[in-house]
Amino acid sequence: MALKSIQYRHHTLDISYEILNPHAKVDLIVLHGWGSSKMLMKQAFGSTMESFRHIYIDLPGFGNSTCNIPLTTRDVTRIVELLMIELNAQRDIIVGHSYGGKVATLLNPQVLVLLSSAGIVTPKPFKIKAKIFLFKLLKFLGFAKLRSFFVAEDAKSLSEPMYQTFKNVVNEDFSNEFTSFDGKALLCWGESDSATPLSSGEKIEELMRDSKLVVYKGDHYFFLQHAKDVAKNIEETFLKTLEH
Amino acid sequence: MKLTLLFGGASFEHEISIVSAITLKEKLSGFDLQFIFCDQDHTFYLIEPSKMKAKTFSSGEHKKMPQLVLTQSGFEKKALFGAKQIKGTVLNLIHGADGEDGTIAALLDFYSIKYIGPRIDASVFSYDKRYTKYLCDAIGVKTLDYEVLRSSEHKNLQLSYPLIIKPARLGSSIGVSIVKEESELDYALDVAYEFDKSVIVEPFINGVKEYNLAGCMIGGKMVFSIVEEPQKNEFLDFEKKYMDFARSEQVLKAELSEELVKKLKANFEKIYKGLFEGALIRCDFFVIDNEVYLNEINPIPGSMANYLFEDFKGVIEKLAASLPQSKRPRVKYEYIHSISKAKGK
Repeated sequence: MALKSIQYRHHTLDISYEILNPHAKVDLIVLHGWGSSKMLMKQAFGSTMESFRHIYIDLPGFGNSTCNIPLTTRDVTRIVELLMIELNAQRDIIVGHSYGGKVATLLNPQVLVLLSSAGIVTPKPFKIKAKIFLFKLLKFLGFAKLRSFFVAEDAKSLSEPMYQTFKNVVNEDFSNEFTSFDGKALLCWGESDSATPLSSGEKIEELMRDSKLVVYKGDHYFFLQHAKDVAKNIEETFLKTLEH
Repeated sequence: MKLTLLFGGASFEHEISIVSAITLKEKLSGFDLQFIFCDQDHTFYLIEPSKMKAKTFSSGEHKKMPQLVLTQSGFEKKALFGAKQIKGTVLNLIHGADGEDGTIAALLDFYSIKYIGPRIDASVFSYDKRYTKYLCDAIGVKTLDYEVLRSSEHKNLQLSYPLIIKPARLGSSIGVSIVKEESELDYALDVAYEFDKSVIVEPFINGVKEYNLAGCMIGGKMVFSIVEEPQKNEFLDFEKKYMDFARSEQVLKAELSEELVKKLKANFEKIYKGLFEGALIRCDFFVIDNEVYLNEINPIPGSMANYLFEDFKGVIEKLAASLPQSKRPRVKYEYIHSISKAKGK
């Protein structure tokens, strides 16, 4: 693990990262999902794809990286870009899981790998709609203190800036960003994913010009069981970019 | 013998400390041992001896055990009626921050609790590698050339490659890297900066002879362990050293000339005397062209370097009986009384 201090909007963010295969010539940047960290991603892919320089990054506010200001997905993207400049990192291949998928898309790499990416807004199930309605009603009646019973699992125990960040990034519609992405994309999905359903993957495949969807057995974290196969697909996708 | 092992702490070496304590439980079997765990939030828990397993702590099970508070001359467990004091000398087994930086020493001194471990001043000089260099300079013990870098400033290095980069205030090889050429420097520094804002840079000498020696002062006399030549591939990395802690069999004595052993002991004594009394420490030395250089001082070595002593139990028992007495001035208010008298009041 390593740490770089990044200056962003007059704030200093300590960004923790780790590099594997430091002498490889092709860069593979790996971004984790909301509430996760680079450890999980390294656990999955650390021992694969030896011919790439792996760069695992803790996004601001996660793992060992700090965050003391509310951020949007574009802010997070800029911060990752600033780190990439410091590390002399190229946009060869960028892998993003879930929320990290949105950041990876904005970074506009040559090869984009989305693992169960967020960014397609799905209609809220009735249960959630009812919960929101009930809380709004309670709030209206002066029972705002009951908030902790209603708040999403992902938003519990977040610091104030991170809660603001959460509100900024949750349910963002990235359809336009996916449509305008013009690199090569590999989309990998778990068929029984309940956080970002398979239908999101199918939608992104439709929106992106040069994309391929691969469906795996498993849930939102399917890649932990299928890391080797995902890695093989990433390598093959990258090799195709060299054919022209 | 009654002995309390104090371990854990808010330190990067928290888990190593747990391993150390579990190892010592076995090595000191026969002693009347008690176990006090300091969790990362600085709460003390009295750990049931049968629960001295790594999983107790990783699963958070320790939180169900009785909490302790510090009071004059001992830790106390609150009971329904009154409180029960945990008696016996404390063995400070917290590695890294808290245990080796003087925090625990200060606490125990303040509460007049007898303990085996470095005192405040000894901690200061051994915890920060920069201050260890200052100490060695002052007492005439050789060390390698070095430079200090800080995360907040950029500086060109004068030393030539290969180099070894170490966080200024950590043990156990955490955050340490070897840099063979300039292109590797930036990452190695970032690795060290994750642990400390200051780092020490030294020349890396491949294949340098390394010797470890442990010891302590008992009844005014130095008691030494055997000299060990640690196994190393390129250098002892965290995992290797970590394995080291759990090591139970005794190591082989290094094949050394008597003259060199004498030199190592003389250097050890120079470092120890007048500063480390009350602690069992391990000094790691380099030998280059028959000259002895200090690499680092471990004022609380992993598992107390038990594997280097033939009679480890005996050493601990004698050391516990030979701890420095801390003198506390008695306040008699003589000055105020004399003024009051002079004023006729």
